[in-house]
Amino acid sequence: VNFPGHKFALAAFSSIIITWLFAMALIMRAGALQAGASGTMLTVFNPNTPQDKIFAAIVNAGAKPIRETSFGFIWVVSGDEPGLSGRLRNEGAIGNYRNLPLSPTIAGCFAFADAKAAEAFQ
Amino acid sequence: MKLMENTLKQTPWYFTPVVILFTGCLVAIVNFGVRSTFGQFTLPISEAHGWPRETYSLAIALQNLLWGIGTPIAGALADRYGSARVLMLGAVLYAFGIVVMNYAGTPFIFHIGGGIIVGMGIAMSSFGIVMAALGRIVPPEKRSWAFGLATASGSLGQFIFSPLVGALIAAYDWHTSLLVLAASTLLIIPFAAPLLVQNSNTTKAGAGETNLSMSQAITKAFGHGSYKLLVAGFFVCGFQLAFITVHLPPYLAEHGLTKEFAGIAMALIGLFNVVGSYTSGIVGGRGEKRIPLSAIYLLRAVAIAGFVLLPITQTTTLVFTAAMGFLWLSTVPLTMGLITVMFGTRYMATLYGFVFLSHQIGSFLGVWLGGKLYDIYGSYDIVWWMSVALGVFAAIVNLPIVEKRAASFAAA
Repeated sequence: VNFPGHKFALAAFSSIIITWLFAMALIMRAGALQAGASGTMLTVFNPNTPQDKIFAAIVNAGAKPIRETSFGFIWVVSGDEPGLSGRLRNEGAIGNYRNLPLSPTIAGCFAFADAKAAEAFQ
Repeated sequence: MKLMENTLKQTPWYFTPVVILFTGCLVAIVNFGVRSTFGQFTLPISEAHGWPRETYSLAIALQNLLWGIGTPIAGALADRYGSARVLMLGAVLYAFGIVVMNYAGTPFIFHIGGGIIVGMGIAMSSFGIVMAALGRIVPPEKRSWAFGLATASGSLGQFIFSPLVGALIAAYDWHTSLLVLAASTLLIIPFAAPLLVQNSNTTKAGAGETNLSMSQAITKAFGHGSYKLLVAGFFVCGFQLAFITVHLPPYLAEHGLTKEFAGIAMALIGLFNVVGSYTSGIVGGRGEKRIPLSAIYLLRAVAIAGFVLLPITQTTTLVFTAAMGFLWLSTVPLTMGLITVMFGTRYMATLYGFVFLSHQIGSFLGVWLGGKLYDIYGSYDIVWWMSVALGVFAAIVNLPIVEKRAASFAAA
């Protein structure tokens, strides 16, 4: 019997990671916030947006900036008034997500990927 | 020869080596992955019930204790009745325990479900049981590689389940997420099915294996000097890993690094762990196992000493976590390999179980002493240096291990 080797390991791990990315994409889509949502959220802007514009957009939307992630264009913000997610979108955010109990940088990676994918399919 | 070829041709697809190895990897991913996500439920469950965090922490502490105590028991059952059946029973217990966690209304029920039942479920469906099955299925020259593959799969499980469950909790809620996790653990049942190929209903020794009874095997193993050295070395592994897992993030915070950065550093450990475990399996298959095992402990000691002596910056932290990640579970394939060399495959799950129990005692002490000594001295320094000293100790005790079949375990 021929037992598999490194190629098998590479193929097995690759297929598992692809399945995982697909599952993450589905869950992130489910976690994308509708326009009426409020509370603490991750808000994603386009990567080339200047910091001052991002900050102004957050304030104009009536949100309180909580912290910036390592990416700079993804922020954790908060606000109690209903419709915060929609207002952030109107101010230029490409997607808003519930605050994931993970490192915001790691959460931000997935949020950005989902926001760009959603933008591409619109 | 003709008969063997015909037999192989008649082997169903789900008993082929590729399927067995792949599904074995999936069992390890689910078992390790689900377990690694419980920390994310601390806040939502404690807040939902109005419990102090101690309640949740006690359940997880009990879970770890039962995982340690349960592993030799699960190993003994796997050696007697076959790994697949034990993995399947473990999956049912794992899922049931998570469901009890979900619906528990009192701390007592929560501790029974999340602590005792889940702990036993983890032990019975752990990658140690998978490795024992693979050890019997794959030829000796591929055994170490297969151990590395199974360990790397467990590491990969930790890496992929954490963001998955974080996103699930955010997208839905903790109730739904726990139920999804319970359902995930039930996947272990179909994943374990191909391992039924090595199941046994007999107490007779296989070819090239010892004819000792299980109790005799355990007694003889504990009378074997090299086994005792292996047990002592693996204690250190548990101590170092548990201490770093629990106390590195607050240590980094003390040195001005953000919680967010700590999250990245911990993720780096997970990533390099996959590479390190797999590499260790390859290295173990090429020659003596005790030398690389000793080197891993020594390198850990060097990495920890360097980290504590150098200024704590983002760069030194990333280098340290990458190095520790590479050395994280890379001890496992070599340790399992040494057990197989010394005692054969007949009782490998049981004997690995006792070695793993020592690991869990080390884990308990690493976490507990880390907190206790911090409270007394206001610093983690003493525990970091204990980790260095223990690393040197483990490097030394692994060197004299005699890497050949123990006389009392000679083939029947």
